[in-house]
Amino acid sequence: MYTNEENIEMNCLDFRRLALSDPNSSQPSFIIHGKECPDCRQYIAGVMQMDADLSKSIDVQMPASLMARLELNQILEEEAQESARKNSGLRRYAMAASFAAALFVSGFFASNYFGSASLIDEDYQALLAGVAEHMNEQPLTPVWDAQKANESANTHLANYDGEMQLKFLENLQFSRICPMGQYRGLHASLETSNGQVTFAYIKGDRVDDLLDASYKGYVARIKPVRGGNLIIMSRTNKALQVADRQLEKAIYWDI
Amino acid sequence: MSNSGNEIDQEQVNYSMMDKKRKYALLIEAHSQDLYKYALWLCKDKNMAEDVMQEAFLRAWKSLDSLREAKAAKGWLFTIFRREHARQFERKQFDYKDVEQMDTIADTNNMGYDDRPEAFALRNALIKLPKDYREPLEMQVLGGFSCDEIASILDISSSAVMTRLFRARKKMRQILGHETMPQLGVVGN
Repeated sequence: MYTNEENIEMNCLDFRRLALSDPNSSQPSFIIHGKECPDCRQYIAGVMQMDADLSKSIDVQMPASLMARLELNQILEEEAQESARKNSGLRRYAMAASFAAALFVSGFFASNYFGSASLIDEDYQALLAGVAEHMNEQPLTPVWDAQKANESANTHLANYDGEMQLKFLENLQFSRICPMGQYRGLHASLETSNGQVTFAYIKGDRVDDLLDASYKGYVARIKPVRGGNLIIMSRTNKALQVADRQLEKAIYWDI
Repeated sequence: MSNSGNEIDQEQVNYSMMDKKRKYALLIEAHSQDLYKYALWLCKDKNMAEDVMQEAFLRAWKSLDSLREAKAAKGWLFTIFRREHARQFERKQFDYKDVEQMDTIADTNNMGYDDRPEAFALRNALIKLPKDYREPLEMQVLGGFSCDEIASILDISSSAVMTRLFRARKKMRQILGHETMPQLGVVGN
């Protein structure tokens, strides 16, 4: 179909075929013909203009937040790998670990004595511990159809917090009011394409700011919302992000 | 490859000697914008495009050691992206029941595209192409890939890519009413 002999003169038919296949072709015969034939020169200009216009019509700027997330995901992944690597070496270095633990405990007492703040505030830790504890205590979570799960969620919410409302979530699997450590709150699970996500709404004092943290193998997000805190936990950051976006749209307050 | 200054600089970089983090940072800097453009067009949904992008870059990070040459980076990244897109799209079929209908709309709001009628007509013409023709054209025009690179990404021969590109552009021109020049086969020389 196409001539590969670069020194063979190209005719208009071949030129236009190649112009439609590869307008930026660097074949010498193609370039020479383009220079010598005014009709074909006009033809290729039209093709290239169409390409340029097409590219422009689909041009969009990437959100800056996405750029930040691409970088953050890499950092989290690296940390997870590092943590997994360290865990695998734990048995081997049991003695060293014991020593480190002793150091940590003494450091903990020392920091308390001197009034230093821990890395993550106690409120966050307590909320995370409560939800994680409940998840570990109840490893078997029912999977309901979305209709039932949504009805249940609305009923429970009406009893638990009359103001918080939930729009219909087609991937809601389960919801119930459960004890979670020192708290009690709405426990629900969502199915996402990246895995299951557990979220809890716990009424009470709100934490100051949103916090993302890794906790006992989970990726967790604690965010203050009206009337309390929302804790979202998943095995993957991806699933957490998807669920959070979904919940942001679904949760509203009837006040 | 595309002619952006970034990528020309990129091709002169020796990846094999580079720290993994630096390599990843360069990948993002050089190719994320092009990939996002392609992703949004392919997914027709901002959230999904961002999800697939994130997952693709994460996979890229995990296997970054296998990337040795900077000039292969873009093709390598697009291949990872396309596989991830296929995987996620398969999973999310239930969310996107009416993709065909969405395609005919050609212009989803909130995607940030040029809203002039000419731009709309071009996007509509592209959508009307059969997938086999549309795909290589998208890769050439949006991704800036050469025929050989497209052949490698799509795992087909270069001549098949050339044929598909020829038919894609010819059909585009017909749809847009650009075929005012003498038709192929009747041009004298």
